[in-house]
Amino acid sequence: MKRRDFIEKTGLLTGGLLLGSSWHTMAATAGPVKMAIIGCGDRGLGILSVLAEQKERFTLTAICDLLDFRLEAARKDPFASSAKVYKDYRQVLDDKNVQGVIIATSLDMHFSIAADALKAGKHVYLEKTMTYSIPEAVELVKLSANYPAQTLVVGHQYRYTPLYFKVKDMITKGYLGTVTQIDCRWDRNWNWRRPVPAGYTDEQINWRMYKRHSGGLPAELLSHQMDFINWAFDTHPDEIMGSGGIDYYKDGRETYDNVQAILRYNAKGMIGNFGATCGNAREGYIFKIKGTRGMVSLLPHEGVFYPEKDAKKELETVDGVTGATRIEWNKDGGIPLMTEKMKDGTWYAMQEFYNCVTQKKMPVSNVRTGATTAVCVHLANQAIYSHTIQTWKPEFNFI
Amino acid sequence: MKKIQINGSAQGTTYHISYYAKDCVIVKSQIDSLLNAIDQSLSLYNPNSLINQFNQSNEGLTVDNHFVAVTKAAQSIFQKTNGLFDITIGPLTKAWGFGPVKPDSLPNEKAIQSLLPCVDSRLLYWEGKKLKKRNPCVQLDANGIAQGYSVDQIALLLEQNGINDYLVELGGEIRVKGKKWPEQTKMSVGIETPGEDFAPTVMKKIVWLDKGALTTSGNYRRYRESGGKHLSHLINPRTGYPFENELISVTVYAPDAITADAYDNALMGMGLRQALGFVEKQPGLGAYFIYRQKNGNIADSASRIFRSLLQP
Repeated sequence: MKRRDFIEKTGLLTGGLLLGSSWHTMAATAGPVKMAIIGCGDRGLGILSVLAEQKERFTLTAICDLLDFRLEAARKDPFASSAKVYKDYRQVLDDKNVQGVIIATSLDMHFSIAADALKAGKHVYLEKTMTYSIPEAVELVKLSANYPAQTLVVGHQYRYTPLYFKVKDMITKGYLGTVTQIDCRWDRNWNWRRPVPAGYTDEQINWRMYKRHSGGLPAELLSHQMDFINWAFDTHPDEIMGSGGIDYYKDGRETYDNVQAILRYNAKGMIGNFGATCGNAREGYIFKIKGTRGMVSLLPHEGVFYPEKDAKKELETVDGVTGATRIEWNKDGGIPLMTEKMKDGTWYAMQEFYNCVTQKKMPVSNVRTGATTAVCVHLANQAIYSHTIQTWKPEFNFI
Repeated sequence: MKKIQINGSAQGTTYHISYYAKDCVIVKSQIDSLLNAIDQSLSLYNPNSLINQFNQSNEGLTVDNHFVAVTKAAQSIFQKTNGLFDITIGPLTKAWGFGPVKPDSLPNEKAIQSLLPCVDSRLLYWEGKKLKKRNPCVQLDANGIAQGYSVDQIALLLEQNGINDYLVELGGEIRVKGKKWPEQTKMSVGIETPGEDFAPTVMKKIVWLDKGALTTSGNYRRYRESGGKHLSHLINPRTGYPFENELISVTVYAPDAITADAYDNALMGMGLRQALGFVEKQPGLGAYFIYRQKNGNIADSASRIFRSLLQP
């Protein structure tokens, strides 16, 4: 929300007096944040459904997409019933009835829309990966510094679940000991294509297959895990090796259907293995963080801690253990990290977006962390495409 | 004699039973059906349970033997603890989100004040096997005692079948009788380290038992967060708010598990000094406390009876 709007609103409700209220209570009097969704594909609609679950925080005043059939689909959602419909995002940015924008377009458009949105005074929730290229990431960091009153959240949504916060806390407190290896996969056994409706081109729908629009599997999938490692360990890789190819779906695609990147983190003494294939679904999502005292194995919404043998030995020497709601061990020797069901990561991410907008907080996943991860993704892609080893440069130190 | 082990899941947790016998005289299905019957009676998580029917009723209803035993034990401990243990705490645990349904927000002062008149075990009375309530808003929560009772019932089943050497553990609540074979030693029980969520490396103490029950109540794993603050799931039935004192956990030793289980929560509420004094006055009761000192350090303290269990 722009400061002027904000003062106008609270002025109406409090007779112009701010009676020592905090930002939080003031925001509560200002009502929901007026949002627009730019890009109404699968991800845009997914976010729409989360906004609809948080009606006390958000209203939807505009939707925007280049493609008519997507706009049609989005309009059918009851939450979009009073939203204006645009095909050109610049018209969304001119709309005074929009305070914040969700940007869920193809990757190549992220930067220009986000930059224009900031200049137009909007708050921004920008899908991951933050930008298509490293220069764009650098530029967005610079640009956003000129708009400190506006929120920019980068949509690495898993970051916001209580589970991933807990794992970061475990790492910080040393429960895993010294971590040396990270194994990440995001596999599937299908071509990763969406059906193309009559009258549209493959490039419009399956932009992920085209290098000029997308960073492929590393950008769309592995970025989440790379981002978490940067954040949880407060670090970045120093050296990135990669390999990959169009190994199974030789269907005219440009981005690879099989990739592997090795990220070397010198300061932490860690190796991160990040891989994705479209040719096997057996293991699907893998995220394992391995330390001298134990390993955490993560799914998007579940996590299990596996202590190493020494940590367990003492427990096994007794006949029984008493404890308050004592540790529950899995059949395979693990301890589940969450005992209660969580909501989807996007739910927490949108809650954070709202809190940052209304309380002027810096998001946990912000333009600087987003830029760090964007650099990781692009260095990985450069390593994969050019068969070279990429190294971190001082100008990538955004944090 | 051979060692027979039965492991399973029940009451939202797991159980582990070891007993020594010439043959396998008790099998898992018998344990499961016993626990299931107790659930039907006393579980808030079972929508059709007797306890849920009682809570929804205006005047109360005729209850089964499990219900009678647990409620009568609860009423007795209510008196002995001056109301710090109270089975009518249902409305409060529900409001604070420690029941089957988790409300999105925490209760405010007004909501809590409105619930307090419903929380008092003296609002219960018996007409034969009919348990009646003096106020329709009275709701029971047997979670602080039903697990201990279940452990005792399993122990009883084993003993009725001629088993005299066993260890029963359900959700960290333990009952022991006899010795291990062939070494003829007491059974050892570790007391889990509280404080750190995922550091099972250090066991604070190991105790040796040949009879009796051990249960632990603590603030360290079951809590809700509010404004970065951990709220204990242990609610003071008299104030309506979570207990707040230096105690991190209490492990109670008693002749049976229902007694140990009912006392552990109340002792958590008393604070170290009062709790230690209280325990020393109860025949057959022992306790081990882990607490936070004013300087932030973690320390422990044990009652006289409990200290005697620390020797093999």
